[in-house]
Amino acid sequence: MHKRRIWITGLLLATLLGVAYAQRRGGFRGGFPFVEYEDQPTPADAGDKTEFVFARMMYPNWRSNDRMWSMRGAWSIDYPKADRQFVQGVRRLTRLNIRSVEQAVNLDNGDEVMNYPWMYVVEPGHWDLTDSQVKKLREYLLKGGFLMTDDFHGSFEWDVFMQSMQRVFPDRPVVDLPKTEPLFHVLYDLDDKFQIPGIVNYPFEQTYEYDGVNANWRGIYDDHGRLMVAVCHNMDIADAWEWADSPHYPERYASLAYRIGINYIMYAMSH
Amino acid sequence: MFELLFHHPLSVYRKGELVWQSGWPLWILAALIFAGCVVTALFVWRKTHEAGWPTLRGATLWLLQSSVLTALLLLLWQPVLSVATLKPQQNVVAILLDDSKSMAISDDGSVRRDLAQKALESGLLDNLKKRFQVRFYKVSDHLERIEDYHGLKTEKAASRIADGLKQIAAETGSLPIGGVLLLSDGADTSGGIDRETVNALKSRQLPVHTIGFGRERYDRDVALVDVQVPVRALADSRLGAQVILKQRGYAGQKATLQLKDADKVIGSKQITLAADGAAQTETLLFNSGPAGVRTLSAAVANMQNEDNFGNNALTRLVQVEARKPRILYIEGEPRWEFKFIRRAVEDEKTIQLVTMLRTTQNKIYRQGVKDAKELEQGFPATTEEMFAYEGVIIGAVEASYFTPTQQALLKAFVDRRGGGLLFLGSRASLADGGYSASEFNDILPVSVGDRRTTFLREKATVELTAAGRDNLYLRLEEDAARNAERWKKLPELADVQNPGPPKPGAVVFADAISGRGRTPLLITQNYGRGRTAVLGTGGTWRWQMLQPIEDKSHEMFWQQILRWLVSGTPGTVVASSTQSVFTDETRVPLRAEVRGKQFEVLPDGQVEARVTGPAGSAATVLLQPDPVQPGVYSGEYAAEQPGSYLVEFIASRALEQLGTDTIAFRREDGLAESYHTEQNRELLERLSAETGGKYWKIEETKTLPEEITFSEAGINTREIRDLWNLPAVFLLIAALRGGEWLLRRKWGAV
Repeated sequence: MHKRRIWITGLLLATLLGVAYAQRRGGFRGGFPFVEYEDQPTPADAGDKTEFVFARMMYPNWRSNDRMWSMRGAWSIDYPKADRQFVQGVRRLTRLNIRSVEQAVNLDNGDEVMNYPWMYVVEPGHWDLTDSQVKKLREYLLKGGFLMTDDFHGSFEWDVFMQSMQRVFPDRPVVDLPKTEPLFHVLYDLDDKFQIPGIVNYPFEQTYEYDGVNANWRGIYDDHGRLMVAVCHNMDIADAWEWADSPHYPERYASLAYRIGINYIMYAMSH
Repeated sequence: MFELLFHHPLSVYRKGELVWQSGWPLWILAALIFAGCVVTALFVWRKTHEAGWPTLRGATLWLLQSSVLTALLLLLWQPVLSVATLKPQQNVVAILLDDSKSMAISDDGSVRRDLAQKALESGLLDNLKKRFQVRFYKVSDHLERIEDYHGLKTEKAASRIADGLKQIAAETGSLPIGGVLLLSDGADTSGGIDRETVNALKSRQLPVHTIGFGRERYDRDVALVDVQVPVRALADSRLGAQVILKQRGYAGQKATLQLKDADKVIGSKQITLAADGAAQTETLLFNSGPAGVRTLSAAVANMQNEDNFGNNALTRLVQVEARKPRILYIEGEPRWEFKFIRRAVEDEKTIQLVTMLRTTQNKIYRQGVKDAKELEQGFPATTEEMFAYEGVIIGAVEASYFTPTQQALLKAFVDRRGGGLLFLGSRASLADGGYSASEFNDILPVSVGDRRTTFLREKATVELTAAGRDNLYLRLEEDAARNAERWKKLPELADVQNPGPPKPGAVVFADAISGRGRTPLLITQNYGRGRTAVLGTGGTWRWQMLQPIEDKSHEMFWQQILRWLVSGTPGTVVASSTQSVFTDETRVPLRAEVRGKQFEVLPDGQVEARVTGPAGSAATVLLQPDPVQPGVYSGEYAAEQPGSYLVEFIASRALEQLGTDTIAFRREDGLAESYHTEQNRELLERLSAETGGKYWKIEETKTLPEEITFSEAGINTREIRDLWNLPAVFLLIAALRGGEWLLRRKWGAV
C-alpha cells in the first residue's frame, strides 16, 4: 500500500513537471507558432562516412538524484533538428565534408569522443559532470578537441556551468573574447555580434532570459593561446539553427547563428 | 728449386723477352710442327688399327709423341731470353727509409725502425753496394736525402710515401737510378699511392722494391673504419651518425660507443662486437642543436689489452644551418589533418609552415604568412612566389584547381628549384583528384591510375617496410626494432588511399593495412634536384587524439617528415668539398654549384671562396668554371695549418651578387699515422707490382740485389740467357718418352 502511494505521488509530480517544462518552452501557449519535432526523418545519406560529424555531448543533469541520464536530458534540447538543419547550412556554405546527421557522444563510452575533435553542448547550465567525465573532457580538450557551449542564461546557470567547468580546468580562467579573436574572423568577420534569442522569447520583444541581459562571448585558452572551449552565454544559437526555416523566427538571428557555428567549426579545424 | 730447374731467377722470366736466336722464320717452325703432328697421327692410327686398340689409346700415344716432337723442334729454333741488366757500379739504387712515427712502433719487442736498419746491415746493404752505388733518403711529411741511415728520429706524424717517390723520380732525372728500395710499414697518410705517382715512376721505368715492416694484423684491436654524418642539417634536427667499425679478438664482447659534441656526450650505446674482421654498422641518434658548426667525435671505449688505441675515435663536422625553411601547405577543404599538422609543428622553431585553407568555394584562410600581401592572390602563379618556399604540401586539392602554369611551376619547383613536394591522400588527391592527367603525373613517386575510388574512410594500421625501418626520419624510438613495433601499435589512421604502384626508383617506407589489404602509404623519390613524396592518408590526426597527451608520436612524425621535405632544398649557391675532416691532407678541393635567381644554370658567373683559418688566417680562392658541368665552379685550397676552417663562397655576375654559401672543414695532423698502424702490405705490394718491382719480407731479401739488377732503368745492357739447356726441358722430354713407354708396356705393345 505504501509503495503504491509513492508510485502515484511520483507519477503526479512527473506529470506536473512535464506540463511546467512544456509551458517554459511555450509549447502550450496560445498562438505560439513553434512545435518541437521528436521524429526527425533520417536522411538517405545518414550512413555516409565523412570528414566531420556534428558531435553533441551527452551529460547528466544537475541535481538529478542518482546522476543517471534522464529519459530526455537537457543535453538533447533542440536535438536533432537544430543539428541537422545547421549541418545543411554548413554543407551549402562551406567546403566541409560533413555528415547529414549528428552524433550524440557519451564521455563514458571509452575513447569514442576522441574521434570527434569538435563537439557541441547545449544547456551546460544544467550539467553536472562526473569525475570520470571531467577527466575525459580535460584530456579531450588538451589533445586538440574543441567544445562549443550554448543556450544557458543568467547568473544561476552560469554558476552551475562553472561548477563542472572549474573541475575540468581548475587552473584556466574563462575569459571574455576580444573582437580581434580569430574565432570571429576565420571565415566570416563577426564584428557586430548581438544576442541571439531562443524561441522562448517569441515574439522577440525581449531577447534575454532570466538576468542574462547581455550576450557573453567567452572562452578558455590552452598554453599556445588556442581556444579550447568557446562559451556562448546568454544566447540560444541552437534555437536559431532549429527555427531558421520558420518565417516567424527573425532572419538576422538565424544568419548570425549560422555564421557563428560555421566560424567555430572552421576555427576548430584550423587552430 | 726454381733456379735448379730453370737456371735463371723468376724475375728474368718476368722481365725478359723471348727471342728465337736461330733466325729461321717462325712459319717454318709452325709448318714443321703441324706436319710432324699429322705424320705422327697417321703412323699412330695405322698401328692402333692393326692392334685393334680403342681410339683413346691411340689419341694418348699421338699426344705424347707429338709433344716430344714439338719440344725438339722448338729447341732447334734456339729460344733465348733477352733481359735488361744494370751495369755493375754504374747505377744508383735509392734506398728510401720511412721516418714517420709509426716506424717507432714496437711489434713483439722489436721497433720497426731498428728492424729496417738491421735488415740493411745483415748483408743486404753490402750486397747492394757490390753491384750499385746507393743513396739514402728518408720520408715522413717530406722527402730528405741523408748520408747515413742511422739516427732516424721517427717522430713525424705523417708519411707521404707517394709524394716522396714522385720527388725522387723528378729530382733524379739526370742520375742513372736503377731502382728504388723502400723500407716502410706502408702506413701512408696522404691517401695512398695515386695514379700520378705510379705514372711518374713508370715513365722512368723505375722499379720500386719494397720491404714491409710491422705486423700485418693485430690480434686484439677495435677500430672505427668510418663515421657518416650529414654534412649539413637544420637546427634542432634529429640526426644519425652511422659508425662503421671492425674488431679482432673481441667477438661477442660488449663495448661502449659514444658520440660527443666537443666534450659533451650527445649519444651513447652499448654494442655487442661482431665477428673478427667483419664490418659492423651502428647508428647513434643525436640532436643537431642550434645553428653553428658541430665538431662531433665518435669513439669506441678502449678494450682491455688492445694493441692499438689510436684508431678508436674519429672526428666529423656537421654544419647546422641557421636558415628557417618555409613550407607552403595548401588544403582544399577543412580537414582534421590540417589542424593537427599545424599543431604538430607549432613548436618547431626551424620550420615555418605557411598554410592556405579553402574554407568555401571562393575563400581561402591564410595562416603563417609574413604579411597581408603574401598569397593574397591565391596559390603562387609566378616563379618568384613559388620558389620562395623550400617545400610544398598539397592536401585535398584536385588537379584542376591548379592552372597549367601553376602545375608547371610545381614541377619546376621540384626539378629545378630542388624543393620537396608532399602529396597527402584525400578524396580529391591522386587518382581521385585527376592527377593522372596533370603535370603531377610526371613528378609523383607512384603511378596513379584513372580509377576514382582509391580513397576510403576506412581505418588502417601502419607498418614500416625494410627501408622505413632504416630511415631515421621515421624513428619514433631510437632502437630500430622497438621503433618498428611502436609503429605497429599506433592508433589506426582515420582513412587510407591506395596511391597506386610505386614507380621504378621510388622507395616505399611504410604500408597501410586496412580491410582491403596492404597498400603503400609513404612513398618517396628524387626528381631532378628535389624530391617528392606521397602519404596516402589524411588521417594521422588520430595518433594525436587516440594516444595519451604526453605521447609525441604525431608531433615527431610530422616534424621529422617536414624536415626531410626541406633539409635537402638547395639555395642558389651550393658549396661543398670532398669531406669535412682532412687528416694529414693539405689539399682541400672546393666546389660550388651556382644557379641564377630563377634557379637556372649559371655558367658565366664568378665565384670566390673566402677562407678563414686557424689564428685568423685568411685567403681568397677564385674558383674556375668546370668545362664539363655548366654552373659548377671548382678550385683548391692548401690548408697547411691544423685546425678549423670556414669558407664563404660568394657568387656574382656582372657585379651583381647572386648568393652565398658557407662550408666548414677541419684539418688534423698525426691522427692517420696512429690510425692504421698495422703493416699496409697491400699498398706496398701494389706499388711494387705496378712499377715492376717486388714486395719482400725481411727474411727473404737475400736475392734482392740480383733482382734489382734486372731493370730497364739506369745504365743497362741486354743479356741473352739460353733456354735450350734448361734441366726442366730435358726432364719434360724424358717424362713424355718414359710415359709413352710405360703405357705401351701396360697395353702389351712393347
